[in-house]
Amino acid sequence: MAFLETHGLGRDFPGVSALNDVDLSIELGRVHVLAGENGAGKSTLVKLLTGTDRPSRGSISIDGKDPAEDPSLFRNIAYVPQELTLFPHLSVAENLFLPYDRTGHGRNIVNRRRLESEAATVLARFGITASPAAFVRTISVPDQQLLQIARASTNKNMKVLILDEPTSSLTSTEVDRVFQVISGFRDSEHAIIFISHKMDEVFSIGDDCTVLRNGEKVEAGHLADTDVNGLIRAMSGETIHLGDTFRPEVVPPGDGDAILTVRGLSGPHFENVDFDLKRGEILGFAGLVGAGRSEVMQTIFGYIKATAGAVEMEGKPWTLGDTAASIRNGMIYLSEERKQHGILPLMSVRDNIGISLYDQTASVFGISARKERACVADIIKAYDIKTSSMGKQIMFLSGGNQQKALIGRAMAQQPRVLIFDEPTKGIDVRTKAEIYRIMKGLAEQGVGIILVSSEMEELRKCATRIVTMHSGKVTGSFDAAGTSNETLVGAIFGKENTPDAA
Amino acid sequence: MRPNPLKALVVNPLAGVFIALVAIFVISALLSPYFMTGYNLSVVTRTLAFVGLVTIGQASLMILGEIDLSLGVIGGLCGVAAGMLMVNLGLSPWIALPLALLLGAACGLLNGVLVSLLRLHSLVLTIGTAGIFGGANLVLTRGVAITNIPKEIQVFGRGDLFGIPMPFVIMIVVLAIVSFIAAKTPFGRYLYAIGNNPAAARMLGIKVDRIRILVFVFAGVMAALAGLLMVARLGTAQPSIGETWVLAPIAAAVIGGVTTTGGVGTPLGATFGAAIIGIIENIIVLFGVSPYWQGIVSGVIVVLAISFDAVSRRYLRSDAA
Repeated sequence: MAFLETHGLGRDFPGVSALNDVDLSIELGRVHVLAGENGAGKSTLVKLLTGTDRPSRGSISIDGKDPAEDPSLFRNIAYVPQELTLFPHLSVAENLFLPYDRTGHGRNIVNRRRLESEAATVLARFGITASPAAFVRTISVPDQQLLQIARASTNKNMKVLILDEPTSSLTSTEVDRVFQVISGFRDSEHAIIFISHKMDEVFSIGDDCTVLRNGEKVEAGHLADTDVNGLIRAMSGETIHLGDTFRPEVVPPGDGDAILTVRGLSGPHFENVDFDLKRGEILGFAGLVGAGRSEVMQTIFGYIKATAGAVEMEGKPWTLGDTAASIRNGMIYLSEERKQHGILPLMSVRDNIGISLYDQTASVFGISARKERACVADIIKAYDIKTSSMGKQIMFLSGGNQQKALIGRAMAQQPRVLIFDEPTKGIDVRTKAEIYRIMKGLAEQGVGIILVSSEMEELRKCATRIVTMHSGKVTGSFDAAGTSNETLVGAIFGKENTPDAA
Repeated sequence: MRPNPLKALVVNPLAGVFIALVAIFVISALLSPYFMTGYNLSVVTRTLAFVGLVTIGQASLMILGEIDLSLGVIGGLCGVAAGMLMVNLGLSPWIALPLALLLGAACGLLNGVLVSLLRLHSLVLTIGTAGIFGGANLVLTRGVAITNIPKEIQVFGRGDLFGIPMPFVIMIVVLAIVSFIAAKTPFGRYLYAIGNNPAAARMLGIKVDRIRILVFVFAGVMAALAGLLMVARLGTAQPSIGETWVLAPIAAAVIGGVTTTGGVGTPLGATFGAAIIGIIENIIVLFGVSPYWQGIVSGVIVVLAISFDAVSRRYLRSDAA
């Protein structure tokens, strides 16, 4: 009998059934991949498994017992959510061992020194470089993500560890560290539920697999019996060729002219950055997390202040430090942080998209509801945004659909330069392909596209040229089709290259 | 799945507070024979106007994600300033009143600029500026009311227009304009965007600082307007004007569906909230509750109203999420 099982599990919300008749069987000592597109019901299932939500139908059994009768059984399940949920103003050690009664650090008095010395061993095991006394707000994002996993594992009752996209902000070395930790848990008779949209990771770490689609289980079994295409087919219900490339092929008029010229740009965490963006290309930016790529883009967009350097757009000097001017002059930046910098969570899909349409919808008599509805409906259709109605609050949409809404909103302003910062972070395979297709189409219409991505595969598939950055400096510029992965990875890790003729 | 009738109230919080307002109105009418008399209704609406104007200003700030604890003392300061300009300096009311409104704008400008430039939390900053404005009031008046206010302005406080109290008419006009701006203009929608997510608003090219400063100025003007109307109603400029305009407007806004964290609610809902509080206070008086107990009774009712709202919303949201 498996340690964690569900039978006919279902969860209904008003108007929708988010989960229906799901049987799941998780065995100790194995890594179980939970696969499915955004909105397939993975998060709903995880909420039921962790006891944060209750099923409408069906049953859960943990160690052969029913947690509905004994909720303390849920302590066997540790969950690491995709978003960072640490306490920024507490120390690393405190974050690690909260709540203290659960981790055996006393109910009344906490010995700080003991806390920090114990933390040091845990941090070493997870390869976290931050000091135990450091405040979490000051440590790096990869360290935070690793700390979050380490925190879950300090739960002494833990038998099942659920990891939701644990590697989304990690680079390959850190991913290896996470995988070592996962293997360690597996070998010590824990079960791991691993949720990821990265197919290579799924196949390198997973043993078993359950695939959800539209809230129902469509497949379950050993991963060894399937392959990437089989898994994608199970998740999406159709064949998607992610092996395709999405580089622009059609040549727009004025191909090869520089749209954007950046010279000697410096700002926080980067210095002396030069590059040209040409019409008709997708310019990729590769680098480690923290290499300064996002900062460069946000500076060009005017969200961060530049300390030196100049930018030209189509030969004319570009105003830095003013996002309103950047948008007016035809540039849009789509942030990696959808939640922080993108969506207006409590407002409807219509308001979220409509806010960029006032040029078309507002007159002296105010915003025309009729015009706004029509424009938003067009965008929802054009970008295939899945929502039950345009009045729904955008925070209830899946990540992929939020991203499509943001892209649709950006496109409504007809930008001449569009900067995508990690546009497919946490987004399923099918939507990824859609976003690639949108980028390609825009580039072919002559829009200058910059793609910042930590996924080498994504850059190779979409970018015409790839600029590499390492700790705030540009280390090379490569033709994507003719450069080996080794050269690119070398440049990302700081090996100086002579930029090619591009 | 049965459709949940209560869900409509969550989807449209305005409907919820409106129903609550009607219910309290009807209950009050049933409980006390004096409630529905023309005289009492005119007292209720006239009194509502002052807190209502401040509530409209405070609610606009709260939608933006800010709060201003100095609005009450701005009202008091502008009231006595208007009194002194008219009485001590002998200025015509038509010069003195606009100057006093301008003073309210200046106070709001100070709050808005400091919050924006120094990236301060408005709650903390306005505790400080409230001390300054309240202190200036005492320095100017030494705590003594200014009497002999020109009779010609009293029509704004005591007068009626078509049988409706003048301050209430002014509040309704302001409310209509603000509601239109909030719902139907880009500027108004930007308020909600900033309250939802200021970083995203800046990414959208919205001039966050400029809008924030403007709304602080607007709220200051609303407080000043309430202060002037109160002077016109009393016929004297009391230094104590505005003392009760600090917390009641915040409670009113929350009852009306505006959150303290920003991004949701409407000025109309907030005004309904103010009306609910106003009626409760009125019915307490009509019942002859001892003045010593009035604070406790009205406080308990406000806490109950807010709790009911919060609990019902959480229950229904857990169903909808």
